[in-house]
Amino acid sequence: MKDQRVTRIEDLPGPKSQGELEEMKMPYEEYCRKVFAPGQEKTKPESLKGIRWLSTTMYIFTPHSVANLAELGAECIKVEMPRMGDPMRHTSPFNECYLYPLHDSRPMTGTGLGFTNANPNEYYISMDYHVPEMKEAFYRLVKLSDGLTECYRPGTFDRWKQSYRYLQELNPRFIYVWGGGFGYGPKVFGGSYDILGQAHAGLASVTGFHEDFGGHCTKHSNWCIDWYSGTQITVAILAALYWRRKTGLGTMIEFSQVQAATRCLGYTVPLYGRFGIVRQRWGNWDTQLCVHGIILCGKSDYPDEPNPQLKYEARYAVVSAFNDPDFKELCAIIGRNDLWDQYKTLQQRVRPQAQIAIYKALEEWAADKTRSQVVKTLTDAGLLAMPVMNDKEVYECEHFRQRGTIRWLDDPVFGDVLIQSGYSCGLMSKTPRRVNWIWRPVGADNVKIYHEMLGYPMSKIEEWYEKNLI
Amino acid sequence: MCDIIWCKECDTVNYLDPYYFWNWEGKIKCAGCENVYYIYMIQGHMYKGPDKKPGEKPDILPVYADKPNDGYEQILPGTPGKTRPYNCLPRHIYLGRADMVKFSARGRPVRGWRPQPPSTGVAGSCGFTWDIQKLSPEVWQEYQEKIKKGEVGEW
Amino acid sequence: MAKKVREVEINSREDTLTLMGPDVRPWPVTPPPSPEEVAAVYARRKAEEFGKWCEDNLRIEYAKGKPEALQGVRVLSCGLWRMGHKFAAGLLGELGAEVINVEPPEGDPLRKLTPFGREEYMLEDKNGDKCGLDFIHELRNAYSVTLNLETEKGRELYTKLAQHADILIEEYPPGYMDQLGIGYRQLSQINPRLIYCWIGEHGQWGPMKDKVSKYGQWMLDPFGQAACSFIHNTGFPEDLLPRGKGGDPTRSGVWFADYVAGEQTAVNALAALFWRDEFSGEGQFIETTAAEALMDILDFDITWYGFNKSIKARTGGWDPNLNQYAWNPCKDGYMMIGGQTDRLWYRIGMCIERELPIFGRLIHEDPLLKEMAARNALQALTKTYTMTTMWLRNINRVEAEEKLMQYEIAAGPLLYIDEVAEFPHFKYRPWVNVLEDEEYGTLMYAESTNAYQMRTPARVKWLGRPLGKDNAEIFMKYIGLGQTELRELKEQGVV
Repeated sequence: MKDQRVTRIEDLPGPKSQGELEEMKMPYEEYCRKVFAPGQEKTKPESLKGIRWLSTTMYIFTPHSVANLAELGAECIKVEMPRMGDPMRHTSPFNECYLYPLHDSRPMTGTGLGFTNANPNEYYISMDYHVPEMKEAFYRLVKLSDGLTECYRPGTFDRWKQSYRYLQELNPRFIYVWGGGFGYGPKVFGGSYDILGQAHAGLASVTGFHEDFGGHCTKHSNWCIDWYSGTQITVAILAALYWRRKTGLGTMIEFSQVQAATRCLGYTVPLYGRFGIVRQRWGNWDTQLCVHGIILCGKSDYPDEPNPQLKYEARYAVVSAFNDPDFKELCAIIGRNDLWDQYKTLQQRVRPQAQIAIYKALEEWAADKTRSQVVKTLTDAGLLAMPVMNDKEVYECEHFRQRGTIRWLDDPVFGDVLIQSGYSCGLMSKTPRRVNWIWRPVGADNVKIYHEMLGYPMSKIEEWYEKNLI
Repeated sequence: MCDIIWCKECDTVNYLDPYYFWNWEGKIKCAGCENVYYIYMIQGHMYKGPDKKPGEKPDILPVYADKPNDGYEQILPGTPGKTRPYNCLPRHIYLGRADMVKFSARGRPVRGWRPQPPSTGVAGSCGFTWDIQKLSPEVWQEYQEKIKKGEVGEW
Repeated sequence: MAKKVREVEINSREDTLTLMGPDVRPWPVTPPPSPEEVAAVYARRKAEEFGKWCEDNLRIEYAKGKPEALQGVRVLSCGLWRMGHKFAAGLLGELGAEVINVEPPEGDPLRKLTPFGREEYMLEDKNGDKCGLDFIHELRNAYSVTLNLETEKGRELYTKLAQHADILIEEYPPGYMDQLGIGYRQLSQINPRLIYCWIGEHGQWGPMKDKVSKYGQWMLDPFGQAACSFIHNTGFPEDLLPRGKGGDPTRSGVWFADYVAGEQTAVNALAALFWRDEFSGEGQFIETTAAEALMDILDFDITWYGFNKSIKARTGGWDPNLNQYAWNPCKDGYMMIGGQTDRLWYRIGMCIERELPIFGRLIHEDPLLKEMAARNALQALTKTYTMTTMWLRNINRVEAEEKLMQYEIAAGPLLYIDEVAEFPHFKYRPWVNVLEDEEYGTLMYAESTNAYQMRTPARVKWLGRPLGKDNAEIFMKYIGLGQTELRELKEQGVV
C-alpha cells in the first residue's frame, strides 16, 4: 500500500531515470528510431495475444481482414478446400511466378504470387465443411475460437447450418463476419471482385484521364479495393472485441466491399446530392490544388537499361507548388513569370483552363530534361517534387530499408522471399506487427489443429484424408 | 467486320484492341501481307473503311494477329514488319509460363521450381523447415558455389 | 390543371445550382425496390428465412436503437490538409468514440478547398462561414475546437486535453509537435495510457522523411502514392493508348493513400487499446504513412521484384493475372466482366456467342485459349478483349448486365455518381444516404461501411462542423475554462 503522504518520483510527470532523461534530450529522429527499433519486433509483445480467429475465406478482400489480426498477434486458422486451396493460389502475373509445393498430391502445381500477403502467419487446414461428417469438427473449432470471417454467397453457410444464426447458440461470445460484394438487398446474390467494386461504386468514374484528353476510366492497377475494404472489416472486428470485453457478447458484422469504394470518394457524393454535379476524371492533376500533379519529362533516367520499365517509363515526376510563394518560385524556375502574373491566387490557378496552360508550360520546360534533373532542380530550390518510383527503386530505397518496411524473410517452407507488407502497415513502439511466414501448403497444419487442438485421433484424420474430406 | 480486320488475301485476322482504336483514324498494315487499310473508327464502330490503300505508308501495325484457318497460327506482338512490339512489360523478356527460379534476386534459395520432392506427413501436414540439403542437394551445391563466388548478398 | 409556372432566369450554370438542391430534386429520384420485391429475390434461391433474418438483424434502420461499440473512448485528432487523421478518427467516431478535432484558429486549409476553385460549391454554416465539401464529408461525428499551438497558452490547453484522451491522432510535419514540447515523448509522461498516432506521407524519420517546402508548403497525397510504386503501376500502357493521352502512369482520382493510412491507423490504435486494457495499462507510439500503408496492399509487387527482378508494368483496364477480369468500353460507357475459371469463362463466351457467332470461331475454337493459365498471356488478353468489345459496343451497360446475369456472371456497369446514387441496391441499403444537418442542411454522403451489424452498428450523426463550434463546451468540460477566460483567450488569439 502506498503511503499517500510521501511523494515518489515515479508518480511525478517527467523523466524518471538517467535513461529516460537522455531519451528526452535525444534528437527527434534518433528517438523515433530507438522506440520503433525495426528488427526488434520479436522482443516485444503482440497486441492481440490470446485471440483466435477462423478464416473461411478466399481471394483478397476477406483474407485481408484476418491478415491484419494475424500480423497483430492473433492465432488465425485458414480453412481451405482439400487439395485445391484458395483459388487465389492459382493466380500469378503473366503466369510466371509460383512457389512449390502447393500440396504433395500435385507436384507440378505451385502457389502463385497472387496469394502473397493475404494470409501470413496463419495455420492452414483443409476441410470440405458442407459434408455433414465434418460438421462436428467445425463446431468444435467455433467453440474454441473468438470469431470467424467468411465470404461465401449469402445463405450458403446458413444452408450448411453454420451461419451466425446457429453459431451464436454454440458460442455467445463469437464474432461472425460476412464479407462480400453486396449483402442483403436486391443484388444480394451478385458476385463481386475488386474490379467490380471499383467500377460499380464510382471510383473508376473519377480515375484516369478525361475523355477530352483522350483518356478512359482507369483501374487502380492493384486489387486495392479488396485490400482496403478488408482493413475496414478489421476496424469493425477490433471494435466488436472492445465491446465484448464489457458485455461478453459477440455480434454479426455484414460488410460489403462495393460500398467501401464509394466511401473514399470525398466531395463527390455531397457535390452530387446538393448541386447535381457529376464529378468527372481529371487525370494526373488535382481538382482542388494547382500545381499539384504529375508531369512527363523528356528523357528517361536509365536510357541504356534493358528493362522497359526503366528504359521507357522512368520519366514521370510529382510536382507540387500550390501555395502562392511556391508557385511564384516555380514560375521563375521554368522561366514563365507571365504565368505568375496571370494566376496569382490558388482560386485562379485551379480553374481548368489555367491548369491546362500551367501543366503544358511545365512539360515544355521538362521536355529536354530527365526526371532526376527536374526533381533535383526543384528540390534544390526548396520546392516539393519527387520521382514516380517503380518497384526496383522502391526495393532499393534506403528509407524503407532503414524503417524495416521492406525486408527479406527466410520463410520456413519456401525459402528466401522479399516482403513488403505487415511491417509497412504502421510502426508500433510497444506491440509491433510482425510477419512470421508468408503462407503454408494446403492442409499443412491438419495434424496440429485436428489432432493436437481438437483431439481427434490420428486414425480419424487419415480416414478423412482418404475420403478427401480434409 | 470492324474491331478486327480479316484480310481476305492472306486470311489473317488483325485484332484492333478496344482502347487504342476506340476512336481512331489512320492507316494500318495487315500483319499477314503487305496490304494497308484505311480505317476511321468512332466509338468502336468502323465509320469508314477498312479501305485498301495499296502502296501507302501505314501509321501503325496491329499488336496481335492470327490465322484461324491455318491452325490458329499466331503472329505474336513484336514480330518485325508484322506486329508492333508491346513495350510496357515487366522485363525485357516475356515468358508467359512459369519461371523456374531457384534463387531469389539476392541469390538465396527459394522454392520456385518444380517438381519438388514429397516432404509432408499425415494428411498433407508439414513442419516449419525446408531441409534443402537433403531434399534438393544439387541446389544446395549450387548455392555453396554462389556463396564462394560472392553472388549472395544481403540485399 | 395548369402547372405552377416558376420564374427562373438562367444566364449561367451558377443560376441552375439552386434548382438542383435536395428540396427541388429529392433523392432518390425513383423509389428503391420494396421489401416484397427483395423477398422474392431471396426466395428464388430458397433463402427466404435467412434473408428475413438478415433484414431483421442487420438493417441500418435499426442501427440508431442499438449500443455503440466504442462508447467511452475519447479521441483527439489534429492535423491539416490531409485525409488520414480525419478518416481514422471518422472510423472510430462512427463506431461511437467521442472525437474532438483540434484546428488552429484560422481553421484547417482543407475547409477552403473546393473543386476548380468554385466557391458556389461550398456550404455556409449558420455563421455565414463557407466550407468545402471534402472537409464536410470526411469530418464525421467530431467536435470542433480551436487552439493556437504556436502560443504557450495554446500548448498548455492542448496538453490538458491530451490528459483526458485515450487515443491521439496527429498529422503535422515530422517533429513539429515534439519541438513544441507536445509530442509523444512529452505527453506520454503526463498521460502514460495515451495511444499516440502520427500519420504522414513518407515518415517522420528516415532518409526520405516528409518535407515542407522552404515556404512551408506541406507534402500531400499523391506523394504517398508515388513513393510506393502505385502510380507507376496504374494507368494504360503506351501500347494501348498514346503517351500523353492517357497512356501514362496515373494517380488515383482520390487521395487514396491517405485513406489507406487512415484506416490502418484506426486498426493499430484499436489493437493498442485492446493491449492496454487487456494486459498492460500502457499507451504507445504509432506511426503510419501513406506510402507504406499503400505499399502493404500493392498485391505482390515488390515481392515479385525479389523473385525475378520484374518491375510491374501498367495494364490499363486489364489484369495480367486473370482473364476475363476487366472493363472494356461499350455503347454507353464501360462494362466490367469477370470470370476466370473454365466454368465461368465459357459461360461468358456462350452469352456473347449467342449474338456474335464469330466469337465462337475465334475464341472458343482457338486451342491456345483452352487452358486457364495460358489465357493470361498478353496476346490472349488482347484477343479476348477485342472480341468481347465487338459485342459490347452494340449494347448499353444495362443490357449487358441483364444478359450476363442470366448466365450468373459477376458483371457490373461502371457507374458515375449520379448512377451510383440511383442504383437499386445502393438505394435499398442505402449506401449513399442523406441526413439533415443542423448547420449545412440536407447532405448526401457515403454511408459508414460498418453500419450493418447485429449489435453495435456504426452510424453517422453529423458531418463537418463549424470552426470552433464546441470550444465553450469542451474547454469547460475538460479544462474548466469559464466564459470570461475563454473570451480573453480569444482576444489573445489562442482559440
